[in-house]
Amino acid sequence: MYRSEGTYIKAEMKIAPIIFENPSLLLLMERFGIEDAVQDKTVATICSEESIECALFLSIINLYNGFIPEQSEKLNKGCIETIIRFLKNSHNYYLEEKIPDIQNLIRSLFVANDIIEIRLIEKFFTEYSNEVKDHLSYEDNIAFPYFYSLLGIPGQRPSELNGFSAQEYKDHHTDIESKLTELKTLLIKYIPLKNSPAIKRKLLTSLFELEYDLTIHSRIEELVLIPLIKKLENIIE
Amino acid sequence: MNSIRKNIVIIEPSDIVNEGLLNMIRSFPSVGNVLRHDTPEDLISGANKRKTDAVLINPFFIKRDIRHFSKLKRESGIGLWIGILYSFYDRETLATLDGVIQISDSQEIISSTVEKLLNNTANNSLLPSENLTERETEVLQQLVAGLSNKEIADKLNISIHTVISHRKNIVQKTGIRSQSGLVIYAISNHIITLDATTL
Repeated sequence: MYRSEGTYIKAEMKIAPIIFENPSLLLLMERFGIEDAVQDKTVATICSEESIECALFLSIINLYNGFIPEQSEKLNKGCIETIIRFLKNSHNYYLEEKIPDIQNLIRSLFVANDIIEIRLIEKFFTEYSNEVKDHLSYEDNIAFPYFYSLLGIPGQRPSELNGFSAQEYKDHHTDIESKLTELKTLLIKYIPLKNSPAIKRKLLTSLFELEYDLTIHSRIEELVLIPLIKKLENIIE
Repeated sequence: MNSIRKNIVIIEPSDIVNEGLLNMIRSFPSVGNVLRHDTPEDLISGANKRKTDAVLINPFFIKRDIRHFSKLKRESGIGLWIGILYSFYDRETLATLDGVIQISDSQEIISSTVEKLLNNTANNSLLPSENLTERETEVLQQLVAGLSNKEIADKLNISIHTVISHRKNIVQKTGIRSQSGLVIYAISNHIITLDATTL
């Protein structure tokens, strides 16, 4: 479920083979709110049926497949709400699904291997997930309302936003990713676990999935959302 | 053939077990000299300056102080430690060993276990080592105890610059950067022990 390579996707392509190639795109479909069976529909048809800007859909789906979007000049401010909805759906996935899943797996690991390292891993992950939660709530409560206000949708005034920048996003995400790598290193290389290969594998798989998704998440912000916001700010000024 | 034969030390308190094992493993193809030591400390004391390739040890000597044993193991530079088991030992003690033989094992099983381990080490020793040096280990111990670079420098009587360079090596070798990650690394590698009740 975690890949970062795939075909470069165009509007006239059919969507089913694209998903067969990279199943991580199921998450993307979910976050765009595409729930129906895709049948033989093309990307363009799905986008028009679901009222999603096709250029935006292509930018994001190609990020999942490992391509840097070239289409940002084709995006307009109408896309911002869709991106924010997409990002908020990702937040729910981290908070309601992925983080609790990982916490449960760490607990199962502790039941099978009652060693001090696993207890410390649980602590490590709790601290880590608190950092993630802080970052997400910063986005939900400060960044997104600011973007809405730029669009003329009621929210906080721009003056209430201090130091919001692409750089800040980037720094924060780098830190978040390096801690996940440490966690995986500890589990793969160092901690002696003997009774629970299946739990260990599930836990590591979940960590790889979370890492992959957080990487895409920050790329969407840096490469798609932030350039659009800057464009909008320039127009307003 | 002699050059690939390994020198073995047996550290076992029971005379009967020791004599039996000594006679048995002397006949194994990869085994050269076999010596008996009374305690693991004999391995690093000056009187026993022979090159030792592997140690067969009763885990009783490990369990009484795992941290001390791990330190001694590192200092000895000996790459292969095999436990002689005839009673139950906890996982933490056994994790310090590369393999075990049971007193109830047949000669065939003991022979194949020991031979396999002896020949494995020969291959592994060709790989570049990621092990921390003695100094790096000391810096790591102070680091996970929460000391600052300056405090570590003062305590180990080295410059701050050297402390920083050791820290860089630690991160590079282990792949672990954060304080809490290093604590877990240090426990897993028996560099420190932590009392469960302090958590």
